[in-house]
Amino acid sequence: MRIFEPHAHMFSRVTDDYERMALAGIRAILEPAFWLGQNRTSVGTFIDYFDTIIGWERFRAQQFGIHHFCTMGLNPREANDDRVNDDVMAILPRYLEKDSVLGVGEIGLDDQTPKEEKYFLGQIELAKQHELPVLIHTPHRDKKKGFERMIDLIKDSGFPMERVLLDHGNEETIKITKDLGLYSGFSIYPHTKMDPRRMVSILKEYGMERMIINSAADWGISDPLLVPKTCIALEQAGFPDEAIEQLVWDNPITFFEQEGGRLDRAELEKPANIDRRETWDGNSVLRGQDPEKY
Amino acid sequence: MTHTIPYPDWQATLDEKARTFLETARERVAENGAEVLPVLFPQLPRRLGREIPGSGLAVVQGRVWDWGAWRACDLAALELVEEAEIPGSMRVDLFLHGDMEERLMAMRTLVPAPVTDATIELLGEAQRTNTVPHFEAAICDSNLLVRALEHSAFGIEDFNRMVLKLAFIDLPLSRVLQATEHANEDLSRMLQDLATEREAAGRAVWADTNRMIARAPTAGTLARLIGGLEHGDDRQRLAAAEGMAALPKRSELAELARERWEREPRPQIRTALEKITAP
Ligand SMILES: [Zn+2]
Repeated sequence: MRIFEPHAHMFSRVTDDYERMALAGIRAILEPAFWLGQNRTSVGTFIDYFDTIIGWERFRAQQFGIHHFCTMGLNPREANDDRVNDDVMAILPRYLEKDSVLGVGEIGLDDQTPKEEKYFLGQIELAKQHELPVLIHTPHRDKKKGFERMIDLIKDSGFPMERVLLDHGNEETIKITKDLGLYSGFSIYPHTKMDPRRMVSILKEYGMERMIINSAADWGISDPLLVPKTCIALEQAGFPDEAIEQLVWDNPITFFEQEGGRLDRAELEKPANIDRRETWDGNSVLRGQDPEKY
Repeated sequence: MTHTIPYPDWQATLDEKARTFLETARERVAENGAEVLPVLFPQLPRRLGREIPGSGLAVVQGRVWDWGAWRACDLAALELVEEAEIPGSMRVDLFLHGDMEERLMAMRTLVPAPVTDATIELLGEAQRTNTVPHFEAAICDSNLLVRALEHSAFGIEDFNRMVLKLAFIDLPLSRVLQATEHANEDLSRMLQDLATEREAAGRAVWADTNRMIARAPTAGTLARLIGGLEHGDDRQRLAAAEGMAALPKRSELAELARERWEREPRPQIRTALEKITAP
């Protein structure tokens, strides 16, 4: 089973995770730009972070045969922070043209403040200008209201629904989103929130169309193997291989595929390939091992 | 605007869409100057392609480079950089905040340009970056490294560190054009030390070591060269023979070379051995 993991913050994961993910069939990863666990105080740290996820992080993934992509954006939490919000908006156009950037995200609402809405809409406009889809983070608190508010904002902006991926959904939100024509994302977590068993029952009820699952792995308790683990749960529940492949391969690729060739379906058929002797800024994950024998 | 590209027909290999993109990009640069380059640069590989449309050596005012290393996107980058009369600070910025491909293009487009402060700054990045394609784009397939020596901020010790890096990541010396002309004893010592370290660790030694050290012999050079003649690896043996043939004083080695010649199975190495014995 080939898997496109459409939401994992590998920046905060160790190299072993890449190896385990590759062995579990994960062929491509999309890393949305996000909040780093604490607030940044200047735009410089955003720039270095953005440069890392188009540079070193991509290089690190490729050494395990994994294609690495990302989305760029100002996350809702820091949209509230005047030390960085406008400056990040000013540098985004440049980063949105990078080869491995497949969308604007994660953007959206968190505490549902007026500032969050302002920068959310500003980034919807950027997505239009750069002809990119948007990956939307939904609030963890007051979720239903947040979902409804975001859908209203998107509708008013005239942004095409089929280019919207509304992430971190659950049994409640799918009732709101199922008929809107957008993509519904579900983050599977180990103990709390959405687990593989709950995911299976949602998919039994609603089918695979425009459904996307991810691990949202980051620096918290999370498991980058939850997409492959959910694949097993789906198989056990009797889903045919084609349906599972549609969910974990075709759907995310169809969503992020676009004009201009940044995501080439044919390229993904082969594992990423890089000369293992290469290093990034003098840094190699090989630690002196022989690249031929590794 | 001065076009230095003595390579007029490469655009004939582009399809309609790519040509239109380049045309529009050039117009945007003509209108707005270098400030639009950060948005145009990342698009070049996917819009123009990564094929290498041609080959051949370019020689312009002492600058030498091999078109065989240039992909369509690199050539387009060069056109835009020239069209924009790019300031040095922008060259550095395109590298520092570029993705893998942009960094490569930022390095490669230094090659046909005069050496400036920005060139030296980016060579410093190449020295530390060590991502092989970026290092190659800066150092290989041209004489940029040698030309950098004309700049007051780039000394022979900077040159030596670069060549040592070349050896460290095992790229061929022949790709750094004219580098052997700047052989020096300090570099020979550095390369010999690296070779000794590698031997102690049971790892392969840069095959060009003997080619470079023979041009500026220092303590231990001769013993390395002589030992190289008996190496089991053909590349090492060839480099030792070629190195010996380049030694300033080699008459006393003629006997050794002749003796090896009789047992040497490889014609190319035999030819090199004959040069040692030639007067
Ligand atoms: Zn996330």
